[in-house]
Amino acid sequence: MGLFDLMSEDLIIMELQGNSKDEVMDELVDKIDATGVIKKKKKFRKALDGREKESSTGIGYGIAIPHGKSKAVEAPRVAFGLKKEGVDWQSIDGTKANLIFMIAVPEKAAGDTHLKILQMLSRKLMDEDFREALIHAENKDEVITLLKEIA
Amino acid sequence: MKLLAITSCPNGIAHTYMAAENLQKAADEMGVGMKVETQGSVGVDNALTEKEIAEADGIIISADKTVAKDRFVGKRLIEVPVSDGIRKPEELITRFKTDDVPVYQGTGNKETAQKGTSKSGQPAFYRDLMNGVSYMIPFVVIGGLFTAIALAFGGHATANGIQIPKDSFWYQVQQIGGLGFQLMVPILSGFIAMSIADRPGLAPGMIVGFIANTGSFYHSDAGAGFIGGIIAGFLVGYIAKLIKMWKAPKMIQPIMPILVIPLLTAAIAGGIFILVLGHPIASLMTGLENGLNGMQGASKIILAVILGAMIAFDMGGPFNKVAFLFGSAMIAQGNTEIMGPIAIAICVPPIGMGLATFLGKKKYAPEEQEAGKASFTMGLFGITEGAIPLAAGDPLRVIPSNMAGAIVGAIIGMVFGVTDRVPHGGPIVAAFGAVSHVIMFFVAIIVGVLVTALMANLLKRKVKA
Repeated sequence: MGLFDLMSEDLIIMELQGNSKDEVMDELVDKIDATGVIKKKKKFRKALDGREKESSTGIGYGIAIPHGKSKAVEAPRVAFGLKKEGVDWQSIDGTKANLIFMIAVPEKAAGDTHLKILQMLSRKLMDEDFREALIHAENKDEVITLLKEIA
Repeated sequence: MKLLAITSCPNGIAHTYMAAENLQKAADEMGVGMKVETQGSVGVDNALTEKEIAEADGIIISADKTVAKDRFVGKRLIEVPVSDGIRKPEELITRFKTDDVPVYQGTGNKETAQKGTSKSGQPAFYRDLMNGVSYMIPFVVIGGLFTAIALAFGGHATANGIQIPKDSFWYQVQQIGGLGFQLMVPILSGFIAMSIADRPGLAPGMIVGFIANTGSFYHSDAGAGFIGGIIAGFLVGYIAKLIKMWKAPKMIQPIMPILVIPLLTAAIAGGIFILVLGHPIASLMTGLENGLNGMQGASKIILAVILGAMIAFDMGGPFNKVAFLFGSAMIAQGNTEIMGPIAIAICVPPIGMGLATFLGKKKYAPEEQEAGKASFTMGLFGITEGAIPLAAGDPLRVIPSNMAGAIVGAIIGMVFGVTDRVPHGGPIVAAFGAVSHVIMFFVAIIVGVLVTALMANLLKRKVKA
């Protein structure tokens, strides 16, 4: 099992359209919703917003990882969006977010494999070379190859 | 240099591990030994051992969630938000090198770690209460179900209640159940106190909780029940916390958490309970008894209201005991009309709160839902205590609901002349053939149960995930 088991080509956006945190969140929520794992979009969005309120998931380094744990989520999914010019995520270090990973986690899920995968993703994102490679990826295939490293 | 760290964040999905990764990396680069324990949604990984803690030169807690610190008394310790572990691990590690890190005294600066993100987002009062309740639930379940089984298989209906012959197997089963009930209040107090004051609160909490629940300590016929236990838990917790604030001389510091704090707290809180609170409880019981005896000529409906309210108020505490003994005494005088409504009121809280957890799942924590099933079963056997975990977790909403249902049930029973000649309650007394107007007995129970369940769910708020 690896990160890409929670993803698919459709869950990757090479050029996010949104220019605000809210718009970007909407775009990514829609992508995850399109895979059919979200029962109530609003409820999932609420879980995401709730987490952002506690503290921004923009942790600097150009990364944001909005994540929501909710009953509205039926299976774990990760969506990835790239925004080369960055979007304001109220990050702690004031930098804009370029790499946005949206994580959807069910309230109750069989086993914790998905949590272990997300743990690997979190750790991998602390690797500067990996971030640089992701940010400069030219196409989906390159992104997929990089994300498949997380396994 | 050897350092240890703990990382944790509200959801435990991402930041916990980012901070762990960066702390580890920074330490590796700086040539500093480092082990990071992660407390995330997968549970605790890479747990620190006692030996590692003993050998470490310092501890970094990088968390946005409460992390228990009692393991680290006497160690140099920094406590920072999880973001600092991610953003500036080098700086944190350097602080140990330049020696500007204070030694953790075990003086419980919990607040700095909490950052307002207690697990459920509830105020501290409820968090402390629920901590006690969650440890108490298994004791109530063991106590209640063993007692119920013993009553059902080994019980004989007598004028002194449902009795189990002392030489029978079922008597032993009942004894085990009794032990569960005897331990439940001390456990409740102990873990409330521990939630407030960390580990030093546990022992005095349990001991003062036991005192609270045992009337003979203060010349009372009955203990103060679970409400007394809650009071004891908070009393002990805050006293222990207060003593912890004292900046003890270095010599005494190591024995503070295991000796000084528990000893002083048990002495002070135990003393307060026996000398200050105990006497009023004893005189309260006498007063209630006299009051009820004076009510004998009064309107039966008013009597039903008072008895129902008393039975449901503290479920095994002084009010409940006095009402129950009053009903039993009336049976001895040949008046079984009083015990009828009491038998109804006895089972309304446990069955009603059980039903409430079935109907409003979102309003009860998972352990409360389990407690609800047990509570429902205990209610069938007339064991009011079944509802205690649910009442103790949210007394201001649940106790009024219990009382309302019990009052309604008791009134219906009184109006239709339901009698009971065995001092015990719940459907089991009907099964023993001790009840008259059986149909109205059950109607009264059902109506009372519905009142309790609906009112509780109306008042209670959703439990946050």
